[in-house]
Amino acid sequence: MHIMEGFLPIEHAIGWLGISAPFVVAGVIRAKRIVRERPQAKMMLAAAGAFTFMLSALKMPSVTGSCSHPTGTGLGAVVFGPAVMSVLGMIVLLFQALLLAHGGLTTLGANVFSMAIVGPWVSWGVWRLASRLGASIAIAVFLAATLGNLSTYMTTSVQLALAYPDVSSGIPGAIIKFGGVFAFTQIPLAIVEGLLTVVVMNALSGRAGKVDEIEALCGEVHR
Amino acid sequence: MTAIDRVAHCNRWRHRSLTEKVVFALGMLLLSVVFPPYPVAVIVLMVTMAATLFGAGIPVRVWLACIIGPVGFLFTGAMFLAIQIDSSGVSLAPEGLFIAGNMMTRALAGFACFLFLALTTPTTDLLAGLRRSGVPPEIVEIALLMYRFIFLLADTSRSMSRAQASRLGHSSKWQQLRSLGLLVANLLPRAMDQGRRLEVGLAARGWTGNMRVLSRTVPLSIPTLILVIVIELVIAAAGVHFS
Repeated sequence: MHIMEGFLPIEHAIGWLGISAPFVVAGVIRAKRIVRERPQAKMMLAAAGAFTFMLSALKMPSVTGSCSHPTGTGLGAVVFGPAVMSVLGMIVLLFQALLLAHGGLTTLGANVFSMAIVGPWVSWGVWRLASRLGASIAIAVFLAATLGNLSTYMTTSVQLALAYPDVSSGIPGAIIKFGGVFAFTQIPLAIVEGLLTVVVMNALSGRAGKVDEIEALCGEVHR
Repeated sequence: MTAIDRVAHCNRWRHRSLTEKVVFALGMLLLSVVFPPYPVAVIVLMVTMAATLFGAGIPVRVWLACIIGPVGFLFTGAMFLAIQIDSSGVSLAPEGLFIAGNMMTRALAGFACFLFLALTTPTTDLLAGLRRSGVPPEIVEIALLMYRFIFLLADTSRSMSRAQASRLGHSSKWQQLRSLGLLVANLLPRAMDQGRRLEVGLAARGWTGNMRVLSRTVPLSIPTLILVIVIELVIAAAGVHFS
């Protein structure tokens, strides 16, 4: 869920930019190191980023009738790892703004935080936790994608609530307001994205030959 | 996606200097976010709309198509600014409509500024500008490659989707979800393949890790830049005067 250009007051826009910056810088350093070690990884990172962008441009069958698309952060985090996702996510968000007119420049910091940082890290954490607890791959992937999507949407609700607290009940009231209105579309959407990601991972596992290449790229798994 | 990109490549101001367009768009954006919305955001909205539609000659249809989605988000958000909830339930907030109106005006103005940049300047020009302004070249190159891959993947996924549709792949919601999952699962290896093929092709040509691309630099027109800055200063003065 993108916050549109100009929606956030200037102090909030700068604040979220400041919070996102360390994550993005860490991701940039990591990406630079990957590229220095293996220059050809540049192509792979770009392909991975383009793939993430495409996910957000695909239309999912929607439950509520609204036009909906997968966030793709769950799948991206599980496949490529969350650290790289922060950089790729930021470029993807910039492209979504420039090519699809979703999001914006002053709200880029806030959007990066909810979609390229919180979502991927939650997905990745849930996926690791669920696999360690012995859940089947399908359930782990479903939970990772669904909870990743939900955490993104809840972060956005909190960001909106902090910017526009309710007149009488303050920030908690505003979280209920913003969270409530978008819950109708977002909860079914998160579940659909979870199901979709399971279908994708099932189909992908039939082509396991390329997995180690992707793992080497994300630099997360074997290191 | 392609509509915005096409317009960005073929508009009257395509070959104006990047600096002029960026100073105009970001300056206006800053004005609309910093000052109280009346009258600054209203002026900014009108000036940027005029620049986009009459100056750069962007078709009104494309501009409207871009703004319709965000406006939906804006209305939902504004609706919830206008109400309050407390122990007695939901009611119209005092000054709620005023706050919502302020927010909507500012967001519309900001979005119009941003849209000006997106519709008049191709993404590749902006990336070249980012490189010149000190963003690490690795990141800019990844972004440039990504931009290229996006269009290749979009073509692939369009033909995959058409093939699925013509084989009753979209006949029910569940079938649609399954088809989409298959499409995504087939898209990832293809994206990776595409990356690998490009890498092999470059390696065969003695590639060492740097991408050198020619970009046309348009000379900066000082009078235009001064005009832009004067307009922005006038609006800023109006903002200071009325706030």
